[in-house]
Amino acid sequence: MFMMSKNQSIARLSLWWGVLALTGSLAGCVEAVPPEIVEAVESVDRDLMQLRAAELAPDDYSNFAHQWVTLRARVEAEDDVIRWPWEPNELEQALRHLQAEGTRTVARLTEHQDTLRRSAERQLAHVEERAKLIATEVSTIDSRLVLGEKPVEIDLLIKQARALYEQRHYGQSLEASERASHNLATQAAMLNRELGRYASHDRIAQWQRMAKDTIEWSREHRTAAIVVSKAERSLVLYRSGRKVLSYPVRLGFNGIKEKRYQGDGATPEGRYRVTSKRGQGQTQFYRALLLDYPNQEDRRRFVLERKIGNIPALRGIGGQIEIHGVENELMAQTLGCVMLDNSQMLALFDRVDKGTPVTIVGALHEHNSVALALANLSARRDET
Amino acid sequence: MNMRHVLLPALCTLILVSGCAQPPVDQINAAEQAVKDAQQSGAATYVANDYAKIEGLMAALKKEVADQDGKFALLRDYGKAEQLAATTKTEAERVKADATKKMEEAKSAATQAQQAAQEVVKSTLDLVAKAPAGKDRAALESIKTDAEALKASLNDVQMMLDKADYLGAQTKAKAIQEKGQAVSKEIETALAKIGKGKSTTKKK
Repeated sequence: MFMMSKNQSIARLSLWWGVLALTGSLAGCVEAVPPEIVEAVESVDRDLMQLRAAELAPDDYSNFAHQWVTLRARVEAEDDVIRWPWEPNELEQALRHLQAEGTRTVARLTEHQDTLRRSAERQLAHVEERAKLIATEVSTIDSRLVLGEKPVEIDLLIKQARALYEQRHYGQSLEASERASHNLATQAAMLNRELGRYASHDRIAQWQRMAKDTIEWSREHRTAAIVVSKAERSLVLYRSGRKVLSYPVRLGFNGIKEKRYQGDGATPEGRYRVTSKRGQGQTQFYRALLLDYPNQEDRRRFVLERKIGNIPALRGIGGQIEIHGVENELMAQTLGCVMLDNSQMLALFDRVDKGTPVTIVGALHEHNSVALALANLSARRDET
Repeated sequence: MNMRHVLLPALCTLILVSGCAQPPVDQINAAEQAVKDAQQSGAATYVANDYAKIEGLMAALKKEVADQDGKFALLRDYGKAEQLAATTKTEAERVKADATKKMEEAKSAATQAQQAAQEVVKSTLDLVAKAPAGKDRAALESIKTDAEALKASLNDVQMMLDKADYLGAQTKAKAIQEKGQAVSKEIETALAKIGKGKSTTKKK
């Protein structure tokens, strides 16, 4: 009675066997791709975006993105596929390979970004320092106006470079700094072009000869002569070849430059004579000695400068260059004249006559302030 | 019923239907156009990462179509290609919208910075015009030169805006604004110190 029939036993065994087989199959199955590998590649993608890979390494990122998009589409399509454990998972392998490649790109870009950041930082510090040095040296020799609009152009580039650096656009910051550096070099060249004569051995020798001739004339004629040195900012009165007075002077607002035209603010250089004496009441500047600027040499040079385009249109050669005192208060500069304070002007005025030679030179010594400033700029440029 | 009379026509119909699988040309063209539109909207500049991805989608689409084209006619299935084309088009349209928005934001920021810089430069030039000749003529001439240089630099900002270099325009405009404010402050300080200086009419 308790004995099952043969058919029942077979049916029961088959059922158990089916259940066991099904359970075993389900336990052995795996998903198409482990979610952690997908997350890992997404993480690499985020890192690459953070590093602006599309901008800095467009080919590398494009390659990664193409592969990632293709593989992700396959992951989504095969989401419901179940594989047997022994089946090779080509998709997972491809993702792992992409993750490894992407990780290497991240490492490479991180290093590149860091190198770029350090370069940008270094170049920015260099141009800021150089600009500051030039501004300081230029200020000590009152030659800011020699540089025209250049200092503002450079300042703007440096500000741009700094802003771009702070926004982590290191490549563009470096570009702006390099343009600033180029402009600084142009600026230094401009200074050398306009003021290089102060460091020229030949030119200084020429000025020294002019001064010596004037002093010699004073000795021979036993009378007064004046020598003004622009770099030294000094006026010396000689009588019979001997130094009688020596005073500090102020020059034009662009006095250090060679005078070219009316209104340029430069104090002329050359051999002049006093053409008239204006006493108190005859000048607004206490007392004044009018000079015969422009002389023949000045006119010749003016014609030449005009021909080569160095003179703005409608500008004349100028005139009314004097040695004078002070109007109401001691001005920092003149419009081109040589200025003394009133007590010194009085002392000078009484010792000179109409016809007294006045020789104005750039410098009388090789180690003058302008030459030293230019040498300092050159030395510091070579240091960097 | 004779099964052959049922099965044979059904099989022939199946063969005919399968053999007519064609690539989704219209959808592919639409996707390609959408990617082109995104590119023209400045996506490569403003949403570079997303743009690289839609380029990737387009490449995957073309590859899928090529793969299917390479199969025996009866085995071709362009279903996945259709899906990819639809996804590519949708994504490209989204990227284009994002790029347009970001570009407009960048342009707006740059234009605002330009306007602010123009106002500062105008105010600086007005101050320069009022500044009387005082003790330090060199300082005044230097300030005038700086103000003129700032005015000239505004042209650079406009050129950058014209070339759609909005980041460059914005940083330059901000630099001009900062420098202009510094120059104005210099003038105001000088004005505060200077008395009534008489300007001479003599030639120099």
